This record gives sequence, C-alpha cells and structure tokens, in this order.
Amino acid sequence: MAKMYDSDLYGTNFSIESMKIIAESIGIGNLQDDAAKELADDISFRLKHIIQDAAKFMNHAKRMKLLQTDVDSALKVRNIEPQYGFHSIEPLPFRFASGGGRELHFIEEKEVDLGDMLSNVNPKAPLETTLRSHWLCIDGVQPTIPENPPPVAKSVQKLESVDPVNKKPMKESSGKPSTGKQKLKNVETVQIKQLATHELSVEQQLYYKEITEACVGSDEIRRGEALQSLSSDPGLHEMLPRMCTFIIEGVRVNVVQNNLALLIYLMRMVKALLDNQSLYLEKYLHELIPSVTTCIVSKQLCMRPELDNHWALRDFASRLMSQICKNFNTSTNNIQTRITRMFTNALHQCDKIPLSSLYGALQGLSELGTEVTRIFILPKIKNIGARIETHLEGNLVSNSDKIASGHIKQLITKITAPIIKTIRNPPDNIDEYKLDYGYLGVALHNAVGKARTQPATVTTTLPSTLSTTSITSVGQTISRSVGIIQQGSTPNRTIIMTQPQRIVQQSPQQKVILMQQRSQPNTSVVHTPTNVVKLVSSPSMQQTKQIATQPKLVVVSNQGGFPSQSAALQTQANIIKQNFISQQPQIQEMQVKQESITDLSQI
Amino acid sequence: MSDPDKNQLAAVLQVLKKYNLKGTEELLKKEANLSDDVEQDSDVSNVLTGYKSDGDPEAYETSYLELKRFVENSLDIYKHELGMILYPVLVHMYLELVYNGHTDKAISLMMKFGPEQDVYYQDDLRRLAMVTKRDHMNGNELTDTFKSNQFILRMSRDTYSLLKRHLHDKKASVLLNIVQEHLYFDMYEGVARNKSQIDATSGAVGGEARRQDNKTKVYYGIPKAPDIQILTAPVEDEEETNDQDNPDKPKKKKSKKDPLLSKKTKSDPNAPPADRIPVPDLKDNDKVEKLKALREASKRINLGPDCLPSCCCYTLLNSNYTVCCAEITEDSSMLAVGFNDSVIKVFTLVPQKLKAMKTAEQLLDVNFEADDVLVRMMDERSGETARSLCGHGGPVYSVSFSPDRTLLLSCSEDATIRLWSLQIWACLVVYKGHMFPVWDVKFSPLGYYFASCSYDRTARLWVTDHYQPVKIFAGHFSDVDCIQFHPNSNYIATGSSDRRVCLWDVTTGNHVRLMTGHKQPIHALAFSVCGRYVASAGTDCRVLIWDLSHGHLIAEFSGHEKTIHCLAFSRCGNILVSGGLDCSVKLWNFNKFTEDTNSDDVNISHNPEVKIGEDYLLRTFQTKNSPLINLHFTRRNLMIAVAVFDAVNT
Repeated sequence: MAKMYDSDLYGTNFSIESMKIIAESIGIGNLQDDAAKELADDISFRLKHIIQDAAKFMNHAKRMKLLQTDVDSALKVRNIEPQYGFHSIEPLPFRFASGGGRELHFIEEKEVDLGDMLSNVNPKAPLETTLRSHWLCIDGVQPTIPENPPPVAKSVQKLESVDPVNKKPMKESSGKPSTGKQKLKNVETVQIKQLATHELSVEQQLYYKEITEACVGSDEIRRGEALQSLSSDPGLHEMLPRMCTFIIEGVRVNVVQNNLALLIYLMRMVKALLDNQSLYLEKYLHELIPSVTTCIVSKQLCMRPELDNHWALRDFASRLMSQICKNFNTSTNNIQTRITRMFTNALHQCDKIPLSSLYGALQGLSELGTEVTRIFILPKIKNIGARIETHLEGNLVSNSDKIASGHIKQLITKITAPIIKTIRNPPDNIDEYKLDYGYLGVALHNAVGKARTQPATVTTTLPSTLSTTSITSVGQTISRSVGIIQQGSTPNRTIIMTQPQRIVQQSPQQKVILMQQRSQPNTSVVHTPTNVVKLVSSPSMQQTKQIATQPKLVVVSNQGGFPSQSAALQTQANIIKQNFISQQPQIQEMQVKQESITDLSQI
Repeated sequence: MSDPDKNQLAAVLQVLKKYNLKGTEELLKKEANLSDDVEQDSDVSNVLTGYKSDGDPEAYETSYLELKRFVENSLDIYKHELGMILYPVLVHMYLELVYNGHTDKAISLMMKFGPEQDVYYQDDLRRLAMVTKRDHMNGNELTDTFKSNQFILRMSRDTYSLLKRHLHDKKASVLLNIVQEHLYFDMYEGVARNKSQIDATSGAVGGEARRQDNKTKVYYGIPKAPDIQILTAPVEDEEETNDQDNPDKPKKKKSKKDPLLSKKTKSDPNAPPADRIPVPDLKDNDKVEKLKALREASKRINLGPDCLPSCCCYTLLNSNYTVCCAEITEDSSMLAVGFNDSVIKVFTLVPQKLKAMKTAEQLLDVNFEADDVLVRMMDERSGETARSLCGHGGPVYSVSFSPDRTLLLSCSEDATIRLWSLQIWACLVVYKGHMFPVWDVKFSPLGYYFASCSYDRTARLWVTDHYQPVKIFAGHFSDVDCIQFHPNSNYIATGSSDRRVCLWDVTTGNHVRLMTGHKQPIHALAFSVCGRYVASAGTDCRVLIWDLSHGHLIAEFSGHEKTIHCLAFSRCGNILVSGGLDCSVKLWNFNKFTEDTNSDDVNISHNPEVKIGEDYLLRTFQTKNSPLINLHFTRRNLMIAVAVFDAVNT
C-alpha cells in the first residue's frame, strides 16, 4: 500500500482562478473572490464524489481505467443528466498552455468538418469479439507458446544482466516441473547461489541441437522453420548465451575457412534473434557486433572472391548492423556513434585496406542513413575514386580487384546520387563533377542526371527493412558449390562447439589456433575480441615488441606444446574490429589488457 | 439504565413536550422513573441532531491528544486494544466539528492526526476529508453510516475497565459524548489481543463484528443428494433404448453406478434438514442430468501438489474495455459474456452448436410422447457457435446460468435483472426491484431460486416465477458487490464495499455470520466444496478464508498485485485458484490448509491464529496481458480460465 502523506488527505481543489475562467466562458464577467471560493469548494466536493462513484462502475466492469461511461453512470445514479457525447476509448491528453501569467490545462477539441463526415460513407465498424483458446498450463507446467508470456520477461532479463547479484533463484512455482521432493518442516533452508546460472534441461539441449543443426545444415526448408522458431518463440532466453556463442565461434572459424554459405546462415540466425521480441539482446551485443562487423569488412569471405557473391553477405550484414543500431542505440551506449566511427576509420585508410573491406565499410556506413552517407562518404569519393581507377583502368590488375572496384563504383553511384541530387542545383556540369569527385565524377553525373529525369522511381531511399530473400537465394546457390569444396579439403564440419580446443589446419605454412577461453560463455561480460590468431614463425623478440605497441592484442598460448608462438593479427578485418573494441567502455579495455598480461606470463 | 438509553428517553420526552402531548409525557415519565431535570441535560439535543454540540472547538484537539497520550503510556498488553479507539474518536470529532461549522479546526485536526491512523483506514479518511461543510453530510453514505451506527470495538474486560476509569477521571465531555453515543464495546473475557490479531479483523466500515453476530448455528454441511436411485431403473431403460447400437455399454454403466450412488449415503451432522427450504421437485430430465454429472465426476482426477491441473484459457479478443463479466455452465459447455454495451453473448465451448426451438407451427408436428422430445423440438438447422441476447439498457455486470442450462440470468446497470431462455433465445422476465445498478446475480445450485445484490446496499432473494423478491437482506453499509449461494442453498454470502462478508439465512432473512478483516471492497466469493469454508477476495489483493462454523478468519493468502476478480475451488476441493487484473492465476493448496487447520481448538470467543498463505501457494501462471475475469473447473477437474486480452497496454 502506498505511503500516505498529509497532502494526500485533502488532495487538490479547484482554484479560484479556474472558477473565474469558467465563469468568464459562460458570460459572467466579474465573479467575486469569496463567491468563487465557495463555488470552488463545492464543485471540488461534488466532483470528487462523482469520481468516487464512477470508480465503483469501473471496478465492476473489471477494468483499471476510468472511462467516460463510468462518469455517466455515476451521474445517472445521482439522478443527474449524463454528459452526452463524450465517448472515447483513447485517453484524451491534456494540453498545457501559458501566457499572460496564466497557466492552463485544457483538452484539445478538434473541429470536425461535417462535409468530410458526410462524404465518408460508413465509419469503420469495430471488430467483433472473438474467442480464442490455448493451454495456459498442462499438468501444472506452462508451455512456452506464443499465447503465453515469455517465462522471464524482458525487463527481468534486463535486471539480471544489469545486476546479476540481484537475480533471484528460480522458484519452484515458476512453472518448472517439480522434483517431487517436498520441503521438510523446521529445516533451515540455505540458498546457495548456483554457479551455472543457465542450466539447460534435456529438452532445451535437444532443441538447441536441432536448431543449430537446421540453421547451418543443407535443408533450406528446415532452416526456414528453425529461423522462424528463433524469431518468434518466447522461451529462448536461457539458450541465448549458447546461441550467441555458436554464432560468434561459427563466424570466427568460418571467416578463416572462407566458408561463405555458413557465414550467411549465421547472419540469418543473428537476424532471427534480433527479430525475437521476447529476448533482451543487449547483454550479448558486445559479442554479436564484432561478428557482424567481420562479415561486413573482412578481407576475404569466400574461397573464390572473383566468383562468389560475398557482396550479398556484406550487404545483408550491413543491414543487420543498422537494425542493431536502430534497436539498441541509447544515449549511454552510443552504439551508432561507435559503429560509424569504426567504419569511418576504415575509410580514412582507404589506400591501405583491401578493396573488399572498403566496400564493406562503405556499405555499412550507407545503411546507417543518408545523413551519415552525406557527411562521411561524400568527402571521400575523390580518394576512393583515385584508388579504384588504378584497378579499373590500369593494365596490371588482378581480376578480383577489378570486380571489387566495379562493385564499389556501383555502390557509390547508387548511394550518393540521390544525395548529390539534393545538394547540387541543376544544371549539372560534368567538369564540375570531375573536379569535385575525381574519377567517379562521370558516373555520378550520369546517375544524377538519370535521377533528375525520373524522380519518382529512381530516388532510392535506403532499405530500412531487412529482407532475407536475396540472401537466401545467394546462400542456396553457394551452399552447393561450397559443399563440394568442403568435401575436398576438410572432411568434417567446421563448426564444433563442444570441444574446448580446436586446431584448424588451413595451409601448411599457416597455422590457426582457436581456443575457447570461456567454458561458461554466458557469465563473462568481457569479450575477448580476437581468439583467432595466426601463427607465423618469427622470433620471440619480435613478438614482444608487437605486444608492446599493440596492447590490445591477445596472445593465446596453447598448452599442447607448440614450442614458440608469436601472435599477430593480420587480417584487416581484425584491425577494424580492434577499432571497435577500443571504443568500448574503459572497463572492457582494462579487462582485455589484463588478460593479455596474464597470457604473457604463461609464455 | 445506561446513559444512552436515558438520553433517548429524554429526547422522546422533549419531542412529546414539543407537540404538547401531556398525557403520554406524564406516563412515560412515571414509567421510566425520570425526573424533570433530566431533560435539561445537554446530551439530549445530541441525540436529536446527531452531532449538535456546544463544545469548544479548541477542546477537541487537546482531548484527542490526551487520549492518545493515555494510549501510548498504557501497558504494552493493553496498548493495542486501547489504540483501536483512536480512529473512531477522530472520525466523530471531525464530523462534530464539521457539523458545527468549525471547518478550519476540523481540517487541522484531520491533517494532524489522519495520516498516523492505520493504513487500512486511510481510504475512508480521505473520503471523510472531502466533507468540509454541514450540507456535504446530507446523504453522504459514509457519514450517514458513522452517524447512525455505533462503531463496534472488541475489547477484553480488563482493557475496557482501564479505558472507563480513564474517561471518568478525565471528565473530558467531548470524548465522553463520543464514546457514549457512537462507540459500542463488545467485551470478552481473556487476554487482550496484540496488534496483528487486531489488524487481522479490523478495517471494516462499522468496526468489528460482535460476538452476538456469529452465535447462531449454521448448517454448513452438504445434505445427502436427493434420491435418484428410485428413478435409476427407468432412466436406464431409457438410455438403453438410446444406445442400442453398442449393447455392452449399459451393462458397464450399471456396475459403475451402484457404488457411485451408495457413496453419499452417510449424512453430514452439520447438514440442514432436507425440507428446510422448499425446493421444486426434480424433473426426469434433471435426474438424467444428475446421473450424467455423477458419472463424469467418477472420472475426475483428484488434484494435489503432485497432480496439478491443466488449464485451458479462453481469451476474448477485440474486446478492450467492453467485457464486464463471463460465466461458464456447470457442465462447461457454454460461456456467457456480458458486455459494456448491454449485450450478452453466449458462446458454445463444445462441438454441439447453440440451437433454437422450432416455430410454433413446426412444434405441432413434434411427437410429444417421444422420449427424446427435448431434442426433437429444437431446430437442427439453427445451430450457431455464438448468439447474442439484447435487451438491457446498460452495462451487464453479471450473468448466471441455471443448473439445467435452459435459462440465463443477467443483471445490469439499468437496475433490472433479466431472465433469458436459452431455447428460444429471448428475454422471458424482467425483474424490477432494485432501485440502483445491480452488481451481481447468481442462480441457486438447485435452480428456481436466485439472489442479486446492488448499489442500493441490499441483497435480494428471488424465485423465478415471482416478479418481486421473496426476501430482502439489508444491513450492509455500502454497495453489496458480490453474492454467492452456499452449496446447500440454505445460505447466501455477500461481500460488500463496507469490507464485510455476511452470511444470510435464506429462510429467515437474518444475517447469521458477519466477518470483518478485508481492508478494501470485496469482489469475489467462493464456498469450499465441503461447505464449511468461504473464500473471499477483492481490491486488497488478498484471499481470505473464513470458517463458517464460528465466523473466524483463519487464513490470508496474499500474492496478487491487483484486484482479484475470480475465485474457484477444484471439484475435489483440494485446490483453490484465484485470478484477477494482474493477469495471473494462482493455485493454492487448500487441502494442505484444511489438514493444518485443527478444528478442535476453535471456539466462538477464541480467534484462531491467521495462517499466512505463502506455504500454500503452489503455482502462478501469467497470461499475456489478459486480465482474468472468470475461473472454472470442469467436472473432471480441468481448469478453465476466461481472460480479456488488453491490446492497448501491449
């Protein structure tokens, strides 16, 4: 029960000013102060009385919201004519206005045009009440179906992640089947905090196995069902840490393996999880964002960059990233700002990074909105143009670079043309374009010209919603070819979660070691960004130097007995990931540093 | 002769004098042994005007403070019982001040001492605080209640003598007047109660219940089921002819039926005599129905903590703020829903559709001698899954099916009760008796009788074939919000906004149990299957269990967060379920509770310890933003919940 205060007892009364204003509105010019006081007191009493009665009608209609009809009923009971014509299901908001030293709260009354009302043939009829049945519980256990609320509400999930100490142990009454053991009387029960907070039941383990297999398997229909389940089932929160680990480990391994199809499947899983309304995903963003970033900007995502359509994956992951920004950006976590900065940093070094990463960074930025594109991409067009010119026009070019440059050109014309159209006034002078945008000036001039001639159709707004259709077809076509390649090179599946250590041999010169540092992925807040390290044979002296300059690198030692190990990050993707991580809160960076120090001590 | 009586007589004398009725005046004086000087007593006018007082407005605060100091300085064992007096004294002081025009004094008194009263009185204090002028008191429900009824306080004899001594010593006239006129002390022998014991039973508008109120014997047992055996033979013949296509079925039934019927031969010592209330004879059809119910019941699963029920939830969609009530038939075949826009809708929950009767001409062709005449008279082609009943002129606040499922009762804001036929789907009778909105209506488990309760603070008992009530149960201080028949139909329980649960005897119309302890209006009542306990719940989010044998509060199940609107016992009586606006259904282990309750140590004057319900909570199930409006158990103990999906808040 709420605490009572003195002021509660008497509440508020109408002010004398209100009385005067109301009197004015009905043509009584000068109401005496004491008359207004009397009126205010009396009207306040009567109104309170009526509202008190109206509350009875509300209670009997089993509602918690007072409606106008309740007030009407209360008036009727007192033999007062009800206020006809005030019926609204929506609450009427009070507006506030002040001026001339007066402050007023009033209800906005819209003027209704009778002509409009007459011309509208029939107002929309309200929907008919229908009955729907579902199982609320079966033998005392509540099934997790969409009709029932999620077992742990989003707000509770949030509370748990913000303040894990506060987490209450699951009570027996929460819907889990009882163990059949009754508590003995007079026995002091001591609650011991469980170490593993996310124990999965056998069913959940089966579900996890089914879902993960279906998501990365070859059966497209099953995958569709699995993704549907991931995006709509309410009871997934317990499995969420496992799912996230599955995804990030999967991305980690398959980026190295250049297994495009699996990366696509994993990104579709991310999308399904993002779509699920009942999950509190904020807790796992620090793990998911680097994985998604990898899929956008990695140097190489497929075995044959000149043939496979890894561009589609980059586009899809970019859209995922913009969805993440849109859903989870708050003033405290600044996700959007940090992601924008990360991509922009990549653009700044556009002469050094591979073309595929450049494409990814551009795509990632363009998905964040036209404003971002205008501010961050437009000034860079000249530089980028200069870079791709050498690949497109020069003679000594590799085929893959040429294709990448073509894609970048296409992308830039597509995303910047509508913006240039708005910021430049016609007529478009091709020389000006060349001056401003360098090599790409001609293409942009053409695109803008085209956009101006057919404004309605060509003005491309950025895709705001994610559709999986395009990526699905790409995934399908690739999966077959990749499957063949896989069989040739590595006989077994590349994604294996259960083994604590996994060594993947890629080529005789390069060794890739993957270590799972976390046996309990869910509990650790810190994400160690790069567990994938390539081992190159280099003297240990060099290695320490590297670490000194780049403290964020994680050196992973393998107890298995590799004699000397040095770690260095080589892929550009990882550098970019590093950029992202470095922008995360101080705490995290500290932890990463600490970890690298402990790792060093092992060497 | 006590002082109030004397005052009343003096007042009568004054009236006689006023109208110059000398003879009567003389006689009365002689008879009552009163001398002339009595009428000069200043108290006399008090009786006549209620709160007329010449008392110095300044004296109120000091005397209240004095009383408060006395309570605080008294011994710990008496402190809490003495403390009970503070609230009614404050209320009456306030009203007296307001009545005599000292509004400022009254407000300052209320502001100073109002917030320090017990939390459960704050609601009433706030309502009282609205009254700041004498004419506000006119027709005000709460002030009228305080004015015309004595506030009842239960006190041990020791505490009372302590208080009496204090009042005599102080001679504070303001206080003495209030204590004499407006308070009633119900004394008992024994140790003074502690704070938690007092809190358990206080909170009602008129104070606690008197011991006198709960003295009458209540026949709470369930009588032996009326003999259906006599009729079993013909009934079975009838059924055998019906089921000729599978010949071994009737045999099975026969062997099953006998133990079934013999089970109930032992009669309950607490059960009322069978002829205590007149009941219409059972029709053949009813007997068939009863047998069917018994047979179903034999397939019932007995629930318990190891065997929890399944629950089917019916959610009403597109019904934001339009649904007021819902009710399911005893055999769980139909659901009736009452709407805000005065329509009633009946849904079928089984594959059989809702059929209407044939037209009069078609009915002529029906063979009345046929055994299945009841089936034949229905029009096969008229089957529908939902039907609407229109006729009311305001929100429909409650609906109730007759036990034979041919009739439906509904009550509405338009102050009428309507009886509908579920065969011709039309209104049969409009019962006009209540003057104000009718909040609840219930059919008796035997049919024929029904009871209603209303905003006009009365509950009424009706029979379907009379258009006027046969009994009016008056006594509640505020709206009667809910009503429920005892399973043996001899008693009616009502729950009211005056926070009291009352049990009325149908035969006499008197209240036989008065139970206080709720702190907010009561919205749901349910009798246990054994008939001994009644559960009540309401706005204070607690389920209270009362023992009808003596009217004691014996348990308090708390856990809900918002108003509870429905309560139901499983058919085996082992589980109590509650549901309400907080979108949750809670299962309570009632069987364990009755086992824990030792019935031997209960007697009329000794209040047993109130059990707290946390140990008895078995499960909580949340619905998806759908407040619960009805809970029901099928004959086989499947739980059915009816909820309204609240689309606005999602």
